[in-house]
Amino acid sequence: MPVADRIELTTPIGPAWEAVIRMVLGGIADRLDLGFDQLDDLQLAVERLLAEGDPQNPVTLSFEVSPGGVRARVGPLRDTALADALQGPEPPPGELTLPRILSTVVDSYGVEEVSDDHLVVRLEKLVRNQ
Amino acid sequence: MTAVELMTASDRDLLRRYHEEGDATAREVLVERHLPLVRSLARRYAGRGESLDDIEQVGAIGLLKAIDRYEMSREVALTTYATPNVVGEIKRHFRDKGWAIRVPRALQELNGKMGPTIERLTSKLGRSPSIAEIAAEFKTTTEQVLEALEAGSAYAPLSLSAGPTGDEELDPMETIGTDDAGFERTDNRASLEPALESLPEREREILRMRFEDGLTQTQIAERIGISQMHVSRLIRRSLERMRSQLT
Repeated sequence: MPVADRIELTTPIGPAWEAVIRMVLGGIADRLDLGFDQLDDLQLAVERLLAEGDPQNPVTLSFEVSPGGVRARVGPLRDTALADALQGPEPPPGELTLPRILSTVVDSYGVEEVSDDHLVVRLEKLVRNQ
Repeated sequence: MTAVELMTASDRDLLRRYHEEGDATAREVLVERHLPLVRSLARRYAGRGESLDDIEQVGAIGLLKAIDRYEMSREVALTTYATPNVVGEIKRHFRDKGWAIRVPRALQELNGKMGPTIERLTSKLGRSPSIAEIAAEFKTTTEQVLEALEAGSAYAPLSLSAGPTGDEELDPMETIGTDDAGFERTDNRASLEPALESLPEREREILRMRFEDGLTQTQIAERIGISQMHVSRLIRRSLERMRSQLT
């Protein structure tokens, strides 16, 4: 990807702040000219990861925005056991898992950092040729 | 009872069959029979920043609650009993959205028009429109569009990070299949599968179409006859419910 613009947001996890996160994602989608469905997908992916966050601690979302798309990092997440699932093979058809949801709504995902109490997940959404 | 007999049976006979014999078909006939009542009541609340389609679907939940909660000892017509349930459900819907307090009227109206406009643009363009294209359609700014979309997001009844909630606000459609509740989180921490059966059939089917068959929200909306934004909300609500049940 060409040089990316960076946006970083550290926010508490909770209903009061979800709208802020969605608006940030909306602004990014607008600047990338993503379709409404792509914005909805990106929001869903981030929301599912935030559901794995620790409500007692803030989460940091960082975005690298380039003409080709957006790469997001979300963390730290609480449940580090998710790392195995996110790094493992594609789940079997018919099983609804976080990896299956992510693989449906973003172009790629992966584990950026993982330790005993720390997990950061990467998401990537590419601009679709229209 | 044959299909013809079911269709011509009185409401009371159908309620008896449903409540005393568990005849789900009788319930379906009752729902179909009283949907015109729901539509009529929903129309009273049109033009308040919410699409009629969405209001009707909320009202239908009130109808289902009325059918499920009807007590056979009551000597009252189902229509009479259902009307305050349907109206109550619609009012609760508007109250939960907090339109009057938090969202300017212009934004409410923009939100109400958003769904049909996105569907029309999707059909016209052959793809989902961008925020800028939606804004151009309304002759407004992309920020206004995002704010209007966000106003609609306030509809979500369960927070992403909320824990399990009480059952008093759950509609009958949401509670179908909860006999299997009480499952434990599986070894696979990422799996939502154990909670899938707790969802109503329609929501399960939507999740299958989206995450197994890979259909887009627009395609799903066309198949089941609701708006794409409603599909989006149902997917979110379903995933949140499943997640909260497993924590």
